[in-house]
Amino acid sequence: MVLTDLKIHQKAVVTKVNITNALLKRRILDMGITSGVVIEIKKIAPLGDPIDISLRGYQLCLRKNELSQIECEVIK
Amino acid sequence: MRVCLVGNQNSGKTSLFNALTGMNQKVGNWPGVTIDRKEGIVKGTDLEIIDLPGVYSLNPFTSEEKITRDFLLNEQYDVILNIIDSTSIERSLYLTTQLIDLGKRVVIALNMCDLLKKKGYHVHEDILSEVLNLPVIKVSALKNEGIDKLIKTLESMDKNQISSVKIFDDDIEKAVAELSLKISVNQRYNALKILEEDNLYLKKDHPEAEEIIQKLKNIYNKGLDEVIADERYNFIVKNKSLFFHSDRQEETISDKLDKVFLNKYAAIPIFVVIMALVYFLSVGLVGNFTTGLIESLFELIKTSLRSGLESISAWPWLISLLCDGIITGIGAVLNFIPQLIILFICISILETCGYMSRISFFLDRLFRKFGLSGKSIIPFIVGSGCSVPGIMTARTIENEKEKKVTILLTPFIPCSAKLPVITLFTTFFFGSLAWLASVSLYFLAIIIILLSAILFKKVYMKDETEHYILELPEYKKPSFRYVTRDVAEKVWSFIKRAGTIIFVCSVIVWFLTSFSWTFQYGVDIENSILASIGSILAYIFYPVIGHLSWAATVSALLGIVAKEQIVSTMAVIAGLADNASNGSLIFANSRIFSFFNGVNGYAFMVFCLFSAPCLGAISAMRKELNSKKAMFKAIAYQTLLAYVLASLINGIGTLVMLII
Repeated sequence: MVLTDLKIHQKAVVTKVNITNALLKRRILDMGITSGVVIEIKKIAPLGDPIDISLRGYQLCLRKNELSQIECEVIK
Repeated sequence: MRVCLVGNQNSGKTSLFNALTGMNQKVGNWPGVTIDRKEGIVKGTDLEIIDLPGVYSLNPFTSEEKITRDFLLNEQYDVILNIIDSTSIERSLYLTTQLIDLGKRVVIALNMCDLLKKKGYHVHEDILSEVLNLPVIKVSALKNEGIDKLIKTLESMDKNQISSVKIFDDDIEKAVAELSLKISVNQRYNALKILEEDNLYLKKDHPEAEEIIQKLKNIYNKGLDEVIADERYNFIVKNKSLFFHSDRQEETISDKLDKVFLNKYAAIPIFVVIMALVYFLSVGLVGNFTTGLIESLFELIKTSLRSGLESISAWPWLISLLCDGIITGIGAVLNFIPQLIILFICISILETCGYMSRISFFLDRLFRKFGLSGKSIIPFIVGSGCSVPGIMTARTIENEKEKKVTILLTPFIPCSAKLPVITLFTTFFFGSLAWLASVSLYFLAIIIILLSAILFKKVYMKDETEHYILELPEYKKPSFRYVTRDVAEKVWSFIKRAGTIIFVCSVIVWFLTSFSWTFQYGVDIENSILASIGSILAYIFYPVIGHLSWAATVSALLGIVAKEQIVSTMAVIAGLADNASNGSLIFANSRIFSFFNGVNGYAFMVFCLFSAPCLGAISAMRKELNSKKAMFKAIAYQTLLAYVLASLINGIGTLVMLII
C-alpha cells in the first residue's frame, strides 16, 4: 500500500520511502517522512492534487506523484 | 562575538532578528552571490547577529538553503543561535541535531510557546536543555519577550566550549569517531556526509570509508542516508516525552478555517473575491482618493516655488529645471505611494496569516499544466504590487529552471507603476469602456504568461522531474509590528528609487528636451536633443504606433528607467508641466501626441506593459538569476515579444478600422 491509496482522514505508518531521485529522497527524509512515522491525510486540494498530510505535529503538501512512492500500512 | 541566526522558514526568524538588533541593521551581499545579507548589532553589546536564510536541513534543496549551509561550513562565527518554532518541534529539532554536528556552540531560542500553550501543549525548556546539552531560552519574538535573557545568555557564552550529544546508535557513533580522525575540518559533519554517501564527499578521497560503509549497510539493510535521518528523528521522538506534554488534541482552528478556504467548490471563488478586494482597496478606493490629493499638493509646491523664484528673478532655466524637470518627474512617482502602501499591506497580511501558502496549494494543479508550480503564484501576486519583491520571492522555488522561468515571467504582470500608463490611455480613448480595456490588458498578461510558460516547458524544461514540497503553516493573526515594518521597508526602498534613479533621469529628460545640440537653452522642443535622438529611433518604433513620432518613442524608451516615467515624460514633453495624469490635456491640446487613437494607443500600452521592465526590476532579475547573460536573454525575450505583439495589434486593428 502507498500513501495515495489512503482516504481523507485515514492514518498510516510509513514503511519504506522508494523515491529514486536522490536529492528529493533526502528532502523527504529531512522533512520527517522516515520509516515508522505516522501520517494522516488532512486535505486534498480542490483540483485533486496536491495533498496535505500531517506528520510530526505539522502539515506538509506533496503531490500524488511523490506520495505514490512512499509505502505505508494503515492504522486501524 | 559573531552569532549566526539559523532556523526553519516561518519560525519567526525575521521577527527575532528585528527584536535583537532593532534599528542597528545593515544590508550587504553574500560572498559570491548577490543576494541580500542582513547583519545587525545588539545595542550595548559586542554581539553581531547574522541573519541566514531559512532552512529545513543542512542538505540544501534551494539556492537559498545552499547559502546558509555554505556559510555555516566555511565562514567565521562563534555561536549558532537556533530559533525553533515550538509548534513543530520535532521537525525543528531535526535541524538542531545537524547544527550540533558542526562542532560549534549552539543556543536554542524556543519561539511561539504561547501559541503552543493555546493548543494545550507544554515544553519544559530545562529538560530540553539537559537532553541536548545546550542552553534553551523561551522567547516570543513578536511580543519581545525573553529577548533580554537570550542576550544575557549569548553574552555569557564560552565560545570554546562546543555542544555535543550522542544522537546515533553505537555502530554509527563508532564509525563517525573513526572517520573523524582522518578529517581536518568540520569533522563530525563531514564524517556523517561520507557515511551518507553524499555526492559532495567522494568516497575515493576516503578509501578507508568503503569498508565501514559496507559494514554498516549490512547491519541496517538500507542506505545510510535513510538510517541517519531515521536515527535523528528517533533520538528526538525518544526524548520528546520528557520535555513535551500534551493535554488534549482536537480539531484546530486552522482545520476549521481550511474547511472553508480550501473547500472543493468555494476555494477558487473565495480567492477571486479576496484578490478583487485587495485591488479594489488599493487601486480603486485609496488610489482614486489620494492621487488627486497628492497631485494638487505638488501643484501647490510647484506654483509657490515658481513665483518665489521669479520674485527673486532667478535664472529661467533654473526655475524650469526645478519645476518642470525635478518636481514634475518625482511628483508623478510619489503620486501612487498611498495605493502602493495599501497594496503592500494587503500582500504582507496575506503572506503572514498563512493564506498565501494555501493559494499556492490549491492552484498547484492548474499551474503544473503550464510547467510551473503553485509556488510561482506568489511571485506573480506580489509582482502585481511591484516586480522587485515579486522577483525576490521566487527564491523559494526549489527547481532552478522553474525559478528562472518564474523570474522571467513576473514582470509581465502589470505592476502598480504601470497603472498610470493604463489609466492615462484607457480613460481618454475608451471613455465609459475604460475598465473593460484595463481588464483586457490584465487578461492579456495572463495569456502571455501561460503561453510563455508552455513554450519554456517545451524547449527548456523538457526532462525535468517535477515535485512540490510545501509546509502548510497554521493560520496566524498577522502581527501589526511585523506588517508595518515589512511595508515600511518596501515603501522606503521605492521612495529611495524615486529620489535617486528617477531624480537623475528627470533631470536628464529635462536637459535633453530643453537644450539643442548647440547647448542653447529654451529651444523649441522639436529642435531639442531628445527630439533628434528620438526621430532616428522612431523608425524602429513605427510598426507599434503606425506613426513616426519621436516623442512617443522616447517616452516608451524611458519606461526602462521606471514605468511611471512614461507618463511623466509625456507630460514634460507635451509642455504641460502640470497635471501629468490628465489625459485630455496631453492628447487633445498637444500637437505632439494628437496622432494617438484607440488602436495605436492600445498597442502603445501593450508595448510599455510587456517590454523590458524598469531598471529596478532588471537589477533584481540580474541578482536572482545570478547571471548577466540570463538577464539579457530574458530582457530580449520580453522586449521582442512586446514589439511583435504591439505591432500586430496596431496592424490588425488599423486594418479592421479601415474595413469598418
